[in-house]
Amino acid sequence: MSPAPADGSAFRPLDGGWGWMVVFGAHVSVGFAYSIPKVLSIFFRDIQAELGSSFSQVALISSIMLAAMYGCGPISSVLVSRFGSRPVVITGGLMCGISMVISSFGNAIIYLYLCIGIIGGCGLSFNLNASLTIISKYFLAKRPLANGLVMAGSPVFLSFLAPLSQYLLINFGWRGSLLILGGVILNCCVAGALMRPVFMPREPPGTLLQTALEEHPNDSKPRPKIGCIKTLMTLLDFSLFKDRGFIIYLIGSMLFILGAYAPIVFLSNYAISQGIEEYAAAYLLTIMGFVDMLVRPSTGLVANTKLIRPRIQYFFSFAIAFNGTCHLLCPLTKGYISIVAYTVLFGTSFGMTFSLIFECLMDLMGSQRFPAAVGLVTLIECIPMLVGPPVAGLLVDVSGDYKYLFLMCGSVILMGGVFLFLMNIYNYHMLKKAEAAKDMEQNQNTVESQDLMEVKRTTEVEMEQTEPGAKKIETQGDQCPENYSCKCDSSVSCADKG
Amino acid sequence: MASATYRLQGDIMAASFLQLWEGGLVRRCSRQRGEGRNETPAYRDEDGRIRIMLTSWKLFRLHVLLFIFCRHVNTETPDPTPPPLVPISPLPIDARSVVLKGESHTEVVELLSPVNLTLECTWTGNQNKGPNITGFWRKDGHEIGNSHVTVELEAEQYNLRRVFHIISEENLGNYSCIFGREAKIDFVLSGPQIGEVRDKPIVSYVGDSVVFICKMDKTKPKPTAWDWYKANGTDREQIVAAEEPHRYEIKNKEGKTQLRMHNLTEADSGLYFCGAVYPISTTVGQMELQVITLYEPLKPFIAIMAEVTILVVAILLCEKCHPRKKETAGDGINDQTNMQTQTENNGSETSSMRQRKV
Repeated sequence: MSPAPADGSAFRPLDGGWGWMVVFGAHVSVGFAYSIPKVLSIFFRDIQAELGSSFSQVALISSIMLAAMYGCGPISSVLVSRFGSRPVVITGGLMCGISMVISSFGNAIIYLYLCIGIIGGCGLSFNLNASLTIISKYFLAKRPLANGLVMAGSPVFLSFLAPLSQYLLINFGWRGSLLILGGVILNCCVAGALMRPVFMPREPPGTLLQTALEEHPNDSKPRPKIGCIKTLMTLLDFSLFKDRGFIIYLIGSMLFILGAYAPIVFLSNYAISQGIEEYAAAYLLTIMGFVDMLVRPSTGLVANTKLIRPRIQYFFSFAIAFNGTCHLLCPLTKGYISIVAYTVLFGTSFGMTFSLIFECLMDLMGSQRFPAAVGLVTLIECIPMLVGPPVAGLLVDVSGDYKYLFLMCGSVILMGGVFLFLMNIYNYHMLKKAEAAKDMEQNQNTVESQDLMEVKRTTEVEMEQTEPGAKKIETQGDQCPENYSCKCDSSVSCADKG
Repeated sequence: MASATYRLQGDIMAASFLQLWEGGLVRRCSRQRGEGRNETPAYRDEDGRIRIMLTSWKLFRLHVLLFIFCRHVNTETPDPTPPPLVPISPLPIDARSVVLKGESHTEVVELLSPVNLTLECTWTGNQNKGPNITGFWRKDGHEIGNSHVTVELEAEQYNLRRVFHIISEENLGNYSCIFGREAKIDFVLSGPQIGEVRDKPIVSYVGDSVVFICKMDKTKPKPTAWDWYKANGTDREQIVAAEEPHRYEIKNKEGKTQLRMHNLTEADSGLYFCGAVYPISTTVGQMELQVITLYEPLKPFIAIMAEVTILVVAILLCEKCHPRKKETAGDGINDQTNMQTQTENNGSETSSMRQRKV
């Protein structure tokens, strides 16, 4: 008898219906979260001229915003676990929108750091975390597709907000633009309103607390009087670090993020250094964004298929390795056509990776532990993300050649992909062994209890008979939920693997 | 011998003056020189004045010509601007030459200070290379009088050369040497151009302050001074910061100037010019300022707020009006009670069950 997943059959996600509206809302929310820090750089020159600060001081606004967005992950996971996604996304939208509006009246760079950087970044963090969490609650069988569609929000919104910001800057100056952009961000509240809460049958807010208490039976403090810090610690669920799969995922994705953003930052500079005109070089990023936009939902679709879904972790490691290989091949490019080809491949691999990055975490953690997990992951990923581009820039300055930047990024990313691939093989192997051992143990237990209690045995047998039957559920779409393998008979059905 | 006396160090002006006279073109009378009737050969005397030496025949001719032309000129109303002074100190010499292979070419020449510039055009010719071709010079589209010359074919090339005296801003412009009707080489003479001037208007708000920056490229020489002007109709009015220190603030560094304007009003909208002053000319950069009130961006902002509020209210109302079943999957309710005891026991083990088995 296999233990059932906490929400797998106790609560079956909708996988459609209103879920698609939620996907749209999450698409908008995630789109704003990823594109706003990038779009702000359009205003830097004007802000720099008026406030009289240096370029690096102004560029720090974006960095602070990204750092706050990733660093507030744990806080937002606590809030999402507590209150659900809808209030958190609405709050996030309000925070970010209002902070942009206030910053448009600022007269010193410190106000911008505070308003746009910290408050805005926190607001975006709430958006990101809550949107991803609600997808894991609404979808299971079609989750990779839903994730792909949600993550496609980033390139879509970037391609829409960038020209809009340029237009606003020309007509209203940077202050008016920030005011209007703040209003546009308030649309996240609309996205949040779409995220109808999913009513789980059980789960009082303290379930994680209960779980933690069971793990630490020696905790002498009575439950209601647990201190604030203790609550926070348990809600943050550092027990995640005991999970082998989580650690593997964390290391792999950290290696990826370390090398992922630098090539984007330096792509047009590299193209110009290869003798390509400025307009053509700027066009490369547009091409990349466009390819990214198309690839993300397509990857979700591919990952949803019967072939790939069981092997999604391997698919993810393949995508990362593909990205790394692209960068390693970049120094071989000569001429505009080959650089465009590189950009297309880069866009494809980048889109594939980002489409799968949260899907794989959901796959590993399950929707129950996902909010805490994603909070921790984004917090830890903050470091390689902020460190990566400056280190790469330093490499370019020291060596005078962009070749080394691509070689460095490519090798780091490839290493991450290979690591993930090998470690996942190891992980699954160990899990299979552990499960086989557990099954044997449980079979022994049932044999013993059969000997001891006749009456109970019959009920258990009945239970055993009903349970496998109950577990023979129809496939949803073309995919079985977790822990069920597909039996492709005359009618495709899912049989419990335990 | 006469020509030898003319070829005095640096006093090319006097020699060319006589050359023009030989050609029959008198531009101005030497009122400035004052020594009209007592022309002596071109040398510096003890007092430092230029004197021109002439043979007696040429002197007579000079007097006659002076009499004919200068008498006429003397009765005219005096010129408001004095004629340009003959430069006393020798001008530096510079030369530019271009070899043209096709039909036309443009060469940009940046000048800082007054100079005697020799422009040389060489054309390799086209299919029908005649032995002679007419060449002449143009400035800003107008033919320079008397510049028609017959150019001979030398070593398969036509060669045209001329010395120009670039003294002030009016001497700058577009000089072209033209071979017949076929080939043209343009020399664009100008002062150093200001780099990165913003072509889009700068937008600012009433009561706010704005900064204009004009920068000369680091590679180009620094101007001697910077000036700022505001457009007033078709004129330019210089901005003197000292007059209104609470409104205007000008900060000059070597290659950069900054104009800060405080307390903007809508009347401040318009064109502004920054001038980089060089000995030869003042290069001007232009920028436009637009001052708008806060209401301009506020209108779209309020529109968006209204849209957001309407949508949020509509979505929430829709939810209340059509109460759907709570989003628990229908069939799972029975299983829940059975599984509930198991789930809590297995909570710690759920992580291991999450992975998709291969």
